[in-house]
Amino acid sequence: MRADVIPISVLTGFLGSGKTTILRHLLRQSEFSRTAIIINEFGEVGLDHELLEASEDSFIELKTGCLCCKIRTDLAQTVQDMLQRRDEGNCSPFDRIVIETSGLADPAPILQTLMTDTSIAGHVVLGGVVTTVDSVTGATTLEREDISQKQVALADRIVLTKLDLNGPAQPVLLRRLTELNAGAPVLSADRGKIDSQCLFGAGFYGPHVSSPDINSWLADDRHSHTRHDADIQTYTVVRKEPIGAVTLTLFLETLAEHCGADLLRLKGIVNVAESPNRPAVIHGVQHVFHAPAWLKRWPSDDRSSRIVFITRRVPQRWVEALLEAIGVEVADVSARR
Amino acid sequence: MSEVAVDLACELLVQSLAAWRVGGGVARSRDGAIIICGACKDIRIDPAPSDPMFRWMVAIDGRKRAAISIVGVLRQVRDALDPGYAANRVRVTLTPLVPY
Repeated sequence: MRADVIPISVLTGFLGSGKTTILRHLLRQSEFSRTAIIINEFGEVGLDHELLEASEDSFIELKTGCLCCKIRTDLAQTVQDMLQRRDEGNCSPFDRIVIETSGLADPAPILQTLMTDTSIAGHVVLGGVVTTVDSVTGATTLEREDISQKQVALADRIVLTKLDLNGPAQPVLLRRLTELNAGAPVLSADRGKIDSQCLFGAGFYGPHVSSPDINSWLADDRHSHTRHDADIQTYTVVRKEPIGAVTLTLFLETLAEHCGADLLRLKGIVNVAESPNRPAVIHGVQHVFHAPAWLKRWPSDDRSSRIVFITRRVPQRWVEALLEAIGVEVADVSARR
Repeated sequence: MSEVAVDLACELLVQSLAAWRVGGGVARSRDGAIIICGACKDIRIDPAPSDPMFRWMVAIDGRKRAAISIVGVLRQVRDALDPGYAANRVRVTLTPLVPY
């Protein structure tokens, strides 16, 4: 990652789940300085920004409307404007951006915008996705609100809030979170207090890119591949043998073509046959795939490819059969030449 | 074409019908073709003869079309069987396939 490319992280969670409370505490931490915040509220008049006391090194931008639909196109423009103002010295300097979504936002279109908009490509990369869950009402909300399920399913980190009101999280809630997203670590915030590094070190493209904790980013859990509820499934496809570059490309293209919006998220580290010493990190949201990032070296002795899927009704066996069929066909064609 | 490739194509089609929630079954014929039967259309997939341009020949209700790869076969079969299918065929290549 170039030094002037900064990560954008997304803080999401259902209405009233404690996003702004967490942000308020984060803004008081010195480690969180030099952070620009974009707050997205649903409604004519935004209030959340009034609840925040930012340090001089933070910069807050407010957008009303829902980022994932009404003003989605404004997001890239907002980021572009912020970067320009920073570069011209017209606002506090920052080297990280956090977007607090509205409680009703679907994070997927926001991630897509960040990954694909040409006006900000090359200046920002996607950091982690953090989702807050109210420990008091979370189980009911997840039962009733589809958007809440999606917010959890797409998370790199899940933060339980309001534990001070209800004691330890109820097993039914923890079980539900595991069903929806077995890979994401579940953290707790004590009245909104939580270490910023625990949250926004989550993305592969974060500040620690030189020594990425790739296993943490992948939340690798290969010994329990399939956890599922009726709709959303999380599983990991593991391959010991290297995967050819052409096979990987065809595989990702076919996933995008056939799964579309049902491929909620894909992230992985891949041993590409043509690049044995530099693994590729792949990342996709729905039918949009980020350009692969090439690590300088393997982060551990484990050189297997691990691809985490979060899908809506895309069977693991189909994904595995697709990868196998493409791999053998490419090898077949290569052998004939 | 290797027998393994045909077997894996057959397995992929079995899994695909299940994933797309369309009826029908997949079987191998005695002459080596893959047959999809019991669906809304009759489909026969043959490994193409030694024509280097195509690897598969797909016949849907008797109409034959070539496919350059198993990915092309999958697209044709789904197009025929899944009325709700709207493929996203945009391809954007931003970086080289390998880091050199």
